[in-house]
Amino acid sequence: MTTRTNMAEHTAFLNVVGAFKAFGESAVLKGVDLAVGQGEFVSLLGPSGCGKTTLLRMVAGLLAADRGTVALAGKDITTLPPHRRDVGVVFQSYALFPHLTVAENVAFGLHARRADKAEIDRTVRRFLELVHISEMADRSVRALSGGQQQRVAVARALAVQPKLLLLDEPFSALDRKLRETMQIELRRLLRELGTTAIFVTHDQDEALTMSDRIAVMNQGVIEQFADPATLYRAPATRFALDFVGLSTRIAGRVSTVSGETLKIETPMGSVQASGAFRSGAQVLVAVRPERVRLARPGQSAEASPAESNRLSLKVRDLVFQGARMLVYFDSPDPMLPIIAEVSDGEAVRLAPEAGMTLDFSWSPDATLLYPAQS
Amino acid sequence: MTPIERLSNAMVAVLAAFAVIFLLTPLLVTVAVSFGSSTVFTLPPPSWSLRWYLALPSTSGLLSSLWTSVQIAVLSTVVSLILGTLCAIALVRGHLPGREAITTFLVSPLMLPGLVIGIAMLQAFKAAGIHGAWTSLLMAHVVISMPYVVRTVLGAMTLFDFTLIDAARTLGYSYSKALIKVMVPALAPAFLTSGMFAFLASMDNYPISIFFTDAWTKTLPIQMLQYVEESPDPRIAAISAGLIVLAVIVLIIGDRLVGLKKLADF
Amino acid sequence: MMARRLDPVALLAAPALLYLLIVYAAPILYLLARSLHTDAGWAFDAYTSFFADDFNWKVIGNTLRIALLVTLLCLAIGYPVALALARAKGWAQVILLAAIILPLSVGVVVKAFAWQIVLRRDGVVSQVLVGLGIWDEPQRLLFTEAGLVLGAANVFLPFMILPIYSVIRQIDPRLTEAGATLGASPWYRFTRVSLPLTLPGIVAGMAFVLSMSVSMFVIPSLLIGDRFQTLATLTGRSFLLMRNEQLGSTTAVVLLVLAVGIVVGSSLLARRLGRHT
Repeated sequence: MTTRTNMAEHTAFLNVVGAFKAFGESAVLKGVDLAVGQGEFVSLLGPSGCGKTTLLRMVAGLLAADRGTVALAGKDITTLPPHRRDVGVVFQSYALFPHLTVAENVAFGLHARRADKAEIDRTVRRFLELVHISEMADRSVRALSGGQQQRVAVARALAVQPKLLLLDEPFSALDRKLRETMQIELRRLLRELGTTAIFVTHDQDEALTMSDRIAVMNQGVIEQFADPATLYRAPATRFALDFVGLSTRIAGRVSTVSGETLKIETPMGSVQASGAFRSGAQVLVAVRPERVRLARPGQSAEASPAESNRLSLKVRDLVFQGARMLVYFDSPDPMLPIIAEVSDGEAVRLAPEAGMTLDFSWSPDATLLYPAQS
Repeated sequence: MTPIERLSNAMVAVLAAFAVIFLLTPLLVTVAVSFGSSTVFTLPPPSWSLRWYLALPSTSGLLSSLWTSVQIAVLSTVVSLILGTLCAIALVRGHLPGREAITTFLVSPLMLPGLVIGIAMLQAFKAAGIHGAWTSLLMAHVVISMPYVVRTVLGAMTLFDFTLIDAARTLGYSYSKALIKVMVPALAPAFLTSGMFAFLASMDNYPISIFFTDAWTKTLPIQMLQYVEESPDPRIAAISAGLIVLAVIVLIIGDRLVGLKKLADF
Repeated sequence: MMARRLDPVALLAAPALLYLLIVYAAPILYLLARSLHTDAGWAFDAYTSFFADDFNWKVIGNTLRIALLVTLLCLAIGYPVALALARAKGWAQVILLAAIILPLSVGVVVKAFAWQIVLRRDGVVSQVLVGLGIWDEPQRLLFTEAGLVLGAANVFLPFMILPIYSVIRQIDPRLTEAGATLGASPWYRFTRVSLPLTLPGIVAGMAFVLSMSVSMFVIPSLLIGDRFQTLATLTGRSFLLMRNEQLGSTTAVVLLVLAVGIVVGSSLLARRLGRHT
């Protein structure tokens, strides 16, 4: 499924068209198109098995697609072996050469390109500096910590100044604090060098933080390819909605249609939204938890007049998360949660408790609509 | 620790000490006899002397059989290292059907009676028109060396992370160059260990080699057994002592490079 | 549906496989075929006359008896030594390892010849046993079955120790610890946890030693002389001394079938064990 992107395809720096790959009977990539602009940082986001690593290996040349083409900077590289593609890779396991020192690892690709010794030394020193690991230059890579190995892997891949850098879940083995630091450092480094990058991850927070655009993948197709804000605020498919962020989900049926405005009947009452559905259609109504306003029964009309979708619901559970609190409500379908998010200040003011009935309201503009799952 | 555990530990330790003596006795006795002065193998000898070592260079057939053995051993080891390594790559990465059966087949020469293999090869080579003793020996010894290489190299290669080859390719090396630059250094201990044992197995082989000798081509073991039959005296002990020293040197080198524990990986 | 394409990497196995098939497997099959087929057609004559002769049964019996004795002796000594090796640290470990690997590296001819010296009436074994009072007077162990078993066990012992040792090394020590926390005595832990887990190593070691003892040629040639024949020595003599290729081929095939039987039997046993663990 192709999604219209902001960039016209003929100016795309990396252009993958119609990538198809099957292993035996099962298709892992089902005709994927991806157009990435120069200097962009794009994430491939999805659960394990969605095909993101397969797509990455295809772009790197480590895997041959059954069908499809790959073009980089205007040149068709589909049939080129990896050592001639000028595409760098940072592997999930880092893949540092254990018999070489840090400096020798970083110099590895430069030796392959037959650069002269002085140039190699200069480049190695520069890139070791850039990732802040110069003092480890002559140590064996076996003696390094996970974070340090990771930095060497990045320096090694960038030292040959590839046109494109691919990263396969490079931070998955690091603890949270280290991961956050590395994310910031990597972005800074890539911006400084102007390198185009594709980053594979299953962690939505990571993707949202780092990317210029995110391609959400599911079962071999790209469901949505958009910038983080669009992806979060207007997920194009139910899968994208489910995969990124939390959401309240309510099943309903369209009762009246007037132009784009729809009235939808749900087990808890009727709500309004805009969309293109026919009368009688079964739909899924969704809204992000932070777009919901909670109030004591009867007080919501006064407290938040713009949030005209109003339901009266019973609190089931409270989840305290420091700066915010998630309030879970009883819902008719255990698979479809109803969640509101309040800041800690609001939580103190409102003092919600399990069993309490509250007004749950949100604006029709913030409503997300999807066809009901068949 | 309970008293029973203490006792059983002590018994095991004593048994181990006995085993060490048991295993080393033949070697120590050989060396002792080689320094004895009499032509009989009594211990302790009437007096010590170097005469048997001094007699070695003039012993007919010794140097030529030694040279033949070394040549055959080196060449057969090199050939099986190359063929065996390529085969190991195919077994680990090539999605071959019946991988276990193929591995068993490659290792089987170790387990089958050398005598039978020798007889079979002799008759087959004769029927095929291969008559040269030296060539036949070399062909047979590659078969002898192959199991050692396949066992050890395959084991090490199964543990090798092939992502390193992917990394080398993305950094600018072709598949074959990447194998040489990255896998060979990583697998060096396995090559060394298997090469060593293959070399020693070839130097030591009798049951297959005996069928491929002629007047000019003899391997060392065959020559030595001829001495035992024709003129048994402590000269043979001196030759053995030399081989023991060679084995000790090889072991020390192996330990320096790989560690005794790795050598014990069977 | 796409056809299964052969991975080009798989072709790297071709040189080795082709070489062994042509130089090793084909001759053996040729030997088998020729022993069953003379100019007159398929014939079992050679085998019927072989098995009709009592002498040959004696030879087979000798072969099996010696092989079993050697294997059991190696097991009895080898298992505790493997345990000791797994526990040893520092110098003790180095000495043990060296004592095991050095004889391996030295070779059969050197060791068999050495045992010739050791087993003589005035040899080391004799002197020790007299010194300990077990024997009244020095005796000759050379050219006796006991001497042969002792010498062969000495040569093959490392092949029993090392497979068991490598299996013991891989056993998670926490398994016996768990047994202890569950109330098991040391003996119970040994017989119910450690021993079963080392069974694959024992099977491997026994397979090695058994097949090597059945096939051994140099050791009996040097240590036991002509009156006592095994299948291997009989085969060797037939070809090299008696020039009786017919008899030699027959005994060779019998020996081969025996050895293959041991290898196949032990690998089936190993697989059965693997399924249970």
